[in-house]
Amino acid sequence: MGAWWRGTSLVAERGLVETLRSRSFKVITGLLLLLSVAAVTIPQILGGAGTTYTIATAAKAPAGLVAALNAAGKSADFTVKYISRRDVADVRQAVGDGDATAGLPAATLYTSAKSAGTFPVVVAQAVVSLETSRRLTEAGLSPQQVADLQSIRPPKQVIVGRVDNEGRAGAGFAVGIVLYLALTFAGSAIATTVAMEKSTRISEVLLAVLRPSQVLVGTVTAVGAVTLGQLLVLATPLAVAVQVSDKIGIPTVAAGDIGLAVAWFVLGFALYAFMFATAAALVDKITEVSSAITPVMIILVAGYMLAVTVVATDTSAGWSIAASMFPLTAPLAMPIRWASGEVPVWQLLMAMALTAATAVLLVWVASSIYRRALLITGRRVKLREVINNRALS
Amino acid sequence: MGLEIDNVAHSFGDGLALDGVSLEVAPGVLTGLLGPNGAGKTTLMRIMLGVLSPDRGEVRYDGRLVGEADRRHWGYMPQERGLYPGMPAGGQVAHFGRLHGLSRRDASSRAHALLGELGLEDRWGDRTDKLSGGMQQRLQLATSLVHDPEVIVLDEPFAGLDPVAVASLSETLRLRARDGRTVLFSSHQLDLVQDLCEDIAMVDYGRTVLLGSVATLRASSGRRQLRLHVEAPNRDWLLAFPGLTVVSDEADDLRLAVPAGMDPLEVLDAARAAGRVVDFGLDLPTLSQLFLAAADRAVDPAGVR
Repeated sequence: MGAWWRGTSLVAERGLVETLRSRSFKVITGLLLLLSVAAVTIPQILGGAGTTYTIATAAKAPAGLVAALNAAGKSADFTVKYISRRDVADVRQAVGDGDATAGLPAATLYTSAKSAGTFPVVVAQAVVSLETSRRLTEAGLSPQQVADLQSIRPPKQVIVGRVDNEGRAGAGFAVGIVLYLALTFAGSAIATTVAMEKSTRISEVLLAVLRPSQVLVGTVTAVGAVTLGQLLVLATPLAVAVQVSDKIGIPTVAAGDIGLAVAWFVLGFALYAFMFATAAALVDKITEVSSAITPVMIILVAGYMLAVTVVATDTSAGWSIAASMFPLTAPLAMPIRWASGEVPVWQLLMAMALTAATAVLLVWVASSIYRRALLITGRRVKLREVINNRALS
Repeated sequence: MGLEIDNVAHSFGDGLALDGVSLEVAPGVLTGLLGPNGAGKTTLMRIMLGVLSPDRGEVRYDGRLVGEADRRHWGYMPQERGLYPGMPAGGQVAHFGRLHGLSRRDASSRAHALLGELGLEDRWGDRTDKLSGGMQQRLQLATSLVHDPEVIVLDEPFAGLDPVAVASLSETLRLRARDGRTVLFSSHQLDLVQDLCEDIAMVDYGRTVLLGSVATLRASSGRRQLRLHVEAPNRDWLLAFPGLTVVSDEADDLRLAVPAGMDPLEVLDAARAAGRVVDFGLDLPTLSQLFLAAADRAVDPAGVR
């Protein structure tokens, strides 16, 4: 076993060093980092100024209104601009043209149908509040009493219910998306490496020293490590932004859910990686790789679609349970089902065990195909041929 | 002792590639596995290296069945070159050294020494696919020799090489054999390697047709021709040798086919007794001729030159 790991790690190390040294890796990783930084910073820069609402009045805006709106703006993170027009018609015109978000020439509040948001409500509340204060003062209440009444606030709202599951659901969907993205990139990298080894006949030299399983597991490990590194590159700017700024809110996820998500990612990645490797071992030329891995891509896409549509809509349906237990779809479907909180632990463990067992089985199948298919060159090998034809081994 | 192939058979589906091949490769003797294209040489070598498993028969080394651990100390150069195109030449050799169990430091120093020996010392950092075909061939050889293997198996190492490269490669192999390594290489160009190998094993249609030392096989062959320019009044002296055949008889050039078991020196003595021998020579058969005789083939098949 020690020798097995040594050979496997040498294969992985070589693959890793060559990838890290390659220009395409540097370019792609650089682009990913740029994109990620841009995705995090650009909304910050654009949204940094906050929202500005404009209110048009017939004369100079009353001081009470200005004070009330400014106070509301401070607590709800918007600024208010005040413009004055000559008469009611002009105010109305300004709102209609989009020069103002709302218009309050006298007793009527003009708003435009679009992009006003909650601002008219805020203005209306301010008007009501000012008028109420005025009448209360007229009725003989002292300014102290009026201020006391003004300080009445509606009860603080706290959203409860499925808050706990929010993080878990996020983690569940994240596994699916990240796995899908990672395999789209890594799948073709794995397939290309395996096909390159076959088409350049390196495989024959390798097989004289190593077992096929060492070559395959080493290759998959190297590509997997690179992919994981690129994912981290993608995630780093977001993580930094979350630490630095309080404007980005991501749901807090329990450590256990993160651990489970990582476990599913590793299982799903291994499973599909060996499927890609198997498909690639069948080709003769590197140019045939894309057509050879198409069936695997279709399974991956179908599994993902099934997970985000059928399983996410009704996690307790028969189809959802089947999809979350079947090894090829389990890594995509089970995390989403698990988020519903209705999955018995035994189902989770069984799905994981089945997926892990299938991945190991695939290493064995892929190794066997690798050894046999590599000795057939000059044409595309049929899957049935390598599985059935014992005479080739 | 060395390497023993015992009655190895292998078939691909319905096609019989090897039909009970047996041969031995002794350490210290440069041995050639010869035969036309399609004779089964590559299949046999793949079986030796464990890339293929035989349907029957055994591969033994020093009397023991060869296992995975033994083969890690072997060097193999397949017929179709296999190198990582994007790797630097030196790193490639060192990588294969480490796969064969060398430490990082040993692998690197051996790789340096070997590239020096093969004239590639200034190519250490060059990408493999930027090297010429001949250089890649030498690099491939380096990857199979970097761990100083005790058994070296090379499939068609001379194919496509110019005469200078053939000489330099055979010198490299001869050096390894002199150091007591077991060296086996295959070739379909029989006459090209005639002077390179000391022992040969000839295969044809998956069977061994000829085994032994090149010198002995050629010298004891029934295909030897004695060439004589003898000033004798007649050819009556030939009657003393019933097995002798006259190939051609001209005034200054008599060609005699000397059968196996007959000493050409006795014929020469008889000629000298009959008259003055002006010139003489013994022509040994080429490996191609030996092959054709052994394989019982009438015409030169494609691939035998």
